[in-house]
Amino acid sequence: MTTRTRNRLAAAGLAGVLALSACGGGGDDDGPVDLRMTIWTANDAHLELFNEIADAYIADNPGVASITFDPLPFEKYTSTLTTQIAGDNAPDMAWILENAAPDFVSSGALVPLTEKLGGTEGYDLDDLEPATTALWEADGELYAYPFSTSPFGVFVNNDLLTDAGQPTAAELRESGDWNWERVIEAAAAVNDSTGKAGLVVRDFDYTGWDNLSTMWAGWGAQAWSDDGTTCGFDQPAMVEAMTFLHEAIFEQSALPGPGSTADFFAGDSAFTITQISRASLLEEDGFDWDLAPLPAGPQGEYSVIGQAGLGVLKLSKHQEEAADFVAFMTNPENSAKLAQFFPPPRASQLTAETLGQTNPLLSPEQLQSVVIDGIATGIVKPSHLGQAEISETVRAQLDSLWTADADVAGVMSQVCQAIQPLLD
Amino acid sequence: MKTRANRGMRLLWYGALSVAAIPFVFPTWWMATSSLKPVSEIFAFPPSLLPQSPRLDAYERVFQLQPFAQQYFNSMYIAILVTIGTLAVSSLAGYAFARIRFRGQNVLFVVVMMGLLIPSEVTIVPLFQMFNGFGMVDTHWPLILVPIFGASSVLATLIMRQFFITLPVELEEAGRIDGLGRFALYWRIGLPLAKPALAAVAIVTFLNSWNLYLEPIVFLSTPENFTVPQALTHFTDAYGGPLWDVQLAAASITALPVLLVFVIAQRHFVEGLANTGLKG
Amino acid sequence: MSRLREQPTTAGRARRWWTARRRDQLAGYLFITPQILGTALFVIAPLVMVAWYSLHEWNVLAGSFEFVGDANYRQLLDDPGLPGVLAATGVFSLGLVVLNLSLALWLAIMLNRRFAGTTVFRTVFFSPVVVSLVAWTIVWGFLLQNDGGINGLLSVIGVDGPNWLRGEATAMGAVVVVQVFKNVGLNMVLFLAALQGVPRELYEAASIDGASPWRQFRRITVPLISPTILLTSIITIVGSLQVFAQIDVLTQGGPGTSTTVLVYYLYQQAFDFHHFGYGSTLAMLLFVIVLVLTIIQWRMRRRWVFHEN
Repeated sequence: MTTRTRNRLAAAGLAGVLALSACGGGGDDDGPVDLRMTIWTANDAHLELFNEIADAYIADNPGVASITFDPLPFEKYTSTLTTQIAGDNAPDMAWILENAAPDFVSSGALVPLTEKLGGTEGYDLDDLEPATTALWEADGELYAYPFSTSPFGVFVNNDLLTDAGQPTAAELRESGDWNWERVIEAAAAVNDSTGKAGLVVRDFDYTGWDNLSTMWAGWGAQAWSDDGTTCGFDQPAMVEAMTFLHEAIFEQSALPGPGSTADFFAGDSAFTITQISRASLLEEDGFDWDLAPLPAGPQGEYSVIGQAGLGVLKLSKHQEEAADFVAFMTNPENSAKLAQFFPPPRASQLTAETLGQTNPLLSPEQLQSVVIDGIATGIVKPSHLGQAEISETVRAQLDSLWTADADVAGVMSQVCQAIQPLLD
Repeated sequence: MKTRANRGMRLLWYGALSVAAIPFVFPTWWMATSSLKPVSEIFAFPPSLLPQSPRLDAYERVFQLQPFAQQYFNSMYIAILVTIGTLAVSSLAGYAFARIRFRGQNVLFVVVMMGLLIPSEVTIVPLFQMFNGFGMVDTHWPLILVPIFGASSVLATLIMRQFFITLPVELEEAGRIDGLGRFALYWRIGLPLAKPALAAVAIVTFLNSWNLYLEPIVFLSTPENFTVPQALTHFTDAYGGPLWDVQLAAASITALPVLLVFVIAQRHFVEGLANTGLKG
Repeated sequence: MSRLREQPTTAGRARRWWTARRRDQLAGYLFITPQILGTALFVIAPLVMVAWYSLHEWNVLAGSFEFVGDANYRQLLDDPGLPGVLAATGVFSLGLVVLNLSLALWLAIMLNRRFAGTTVFRTVFFSPVVVSLVAWTIVWGFLLQNDGGINGLLSVIGVDGPNWLRGEATAMGAVVVVQVFKNVGLNMVLFLAALQGVPRELYEAASIDGASPWRQFRRITVPLISPTILLTSIITIVGSLQVFAQIDVLTQGGPGTSTTVLVYYLYQQAFDFHHFGYGSTLAMLLFVIVLVLTIIQWRMRRRWVFHEN
């Protein structure tokens, strides 16, 4: 039964028929095909570059008539993509967020790409940094290209630090004081003397808890064990890290409390932890800023990266063409072009010179210490099969941590009780 | 003596209503003024009542970041079509259920009323599959057809039925004696008398369509096709971080013209609705 | 009128069968045809499909769709999160209906007189109704922040406001109140319309008999506008069970799960967690709840709705 007939029948309300085959089949239409890729950026500069790459591809490949980039809202990205898949309207290619990687890779929703990419002339698959591909592999097959590998760093507003009589980021790093203890102290001092916020963990906002991994990794803590079966929230390292954070928020006022908003890029906070690609937000702002690696924790130095994968969906009716375009879009030449917005996973392009050409705002030193070292050694933000449900459960449990008199160890063990059934 | 009591009453009346009005007026005031402030001032505490140095940057960016004029037009024309369609469908059905006796009437009425009971979140996935089968995903058809014929028109039918039930039978008798058919009775006598109910239905329907949030998110994917509520949540930087000032500017653009039209036309709008009365 | 002249020319027998009554019946069916077809296509058919999905385990990503019988319904009974969700739904709906209807009625009674300024006040109270729901909610989201406009206003009069959207106790109240301010104007206008239909003489007679205003309200106003009360309460209750955008923008179901109402939970299960089968089961539960509530209200109307035969 073809997908089209099935849809007609479904449309007529004959629900039973739908159940017989919930997955679409690969069509074999002749003639040029139309490809669609879902993305979450609606940024004009990004889209312009994508379209430029797509146009170059179409010019050489008469088999493809058009390639559409379909921006979906970031906040609802994964659920909108899933709805499209459920509604039999899957895109041919999709960006996939790192936290959805296990779901997409293990469910078999994606087309394996190793053969295609490895077999494309001049592609040089071995150039991909192993740390960047780990999340997207299963059984030795690569299911998505690690499209945007963006390390977390600390942006610093030196003006605010100076106003508060604190050393600048560079001075702190020089004196060996670039650690959590000292950074929180400086953040508290800024809040105390200027009234501006100290440190903002961007996108955390007391709900996006996985962004806190940029902090607790310094304590050697993790959300769950590497094999994903044991909850890590009640482990001593995590309890210690969260106790530190809780005190920083509620006793030292180094971070704005729940329900308060401060935007670093508008000059409202001394530090912010975010991905380095956000440097583009700085352009017009007139304060003296710096970019530094994450501060050292009790367990020493570390780095954390966020990722996106670019994959081809099995439900696509044009898998072959879509995979071919992915191979083109991510070849060395285009990868270098994309590097101005999305740090590349290619070792050969991870040099301060290459990155410097496309990231004029950042100094070679910043690029080396934050981006290049970060990508090679970075821990990826937590992800797990069934991430969305786990994430929501953890969020609901952690809500009781964000009050001044919370019992940190107690809350952390409740988190584990709640998510353990989902980890097994 | 009596006048003094009256004046006291009146003062009390003004006082109570003025206090009650604060939560209705303040948000709109805050939205409009904050859209003229830079982000850091939006979050200043305590908030400033007037922008320190008003600027229109955010308004320019509303139109740079998205085809907002097109999106505004989309929302507007969809809401108008839905309103006209719903008026036709619901006044016909409401009239029939109230004034005509036919077999199976009660059963059919209950069947239609089921639509009231089914939130759109419940049926969104099958509807998505259905419209995908029709090749209508990323078009405005689902946003037009489903409200006119589906669950949301049921409320309109109920309102119309409740209105027509209270219409005295004698009003139609004269027409009947003149030999008017059912459609003529509905068109020439029923509808003109039903203006207040039609107005109520029109307002409710227009606003429902104007406010639709989940359906556009599910059905539409091209920014040129977006509707306003969907566009409002799309004013973010390249990484999904909200652009607060632009969001507020867009929200103001969405709200203020409609409010202005409403204030000018409100005599016909509220008073007309209230004074002629949807009596029961 | 031309019809009148045509009719006598039709054959006698056909005319007896084709009675005015039959013709009227046909008109009735034709009038409701668009609505019935629409309901069948856009309401009943999707509902049947949802019922069918609820008997399946549907993994969208893997493309698997397996019949599991009543497994989802058994999961429903064992779901540890569900009692909290139902409680939140009940609190939200009850709070919304009570606050909305009483405020709407109070405003309508206040405005049902001819003072200068009545029109201005009517406009003010109705105005949020025409503001886009998402815009209204986004603005309130800003205002209700810990250092937002509400607490700013409160600090002016020396009150230290709570962190509205972050406290278990205040979050639900805040969501309800935001929704009440948004839509109370509509019910107010419907009540105003109904109040205009209450003859003034009734009040005058009651005043002469020495009835207190409260007694007049209970004995005259409420019975005479009871059909409108029924209509508005049905609209408001059904609407309250479908609240989604407000929760999504303001609290995302938190803090904890204190504002996770049934529709939001359903959306999470189906669209966020990809459990379309279980999500469909929750949809069936929601359907049954609304059905029961509406039947109860519709039955009760005979008891207290004054004029409808």
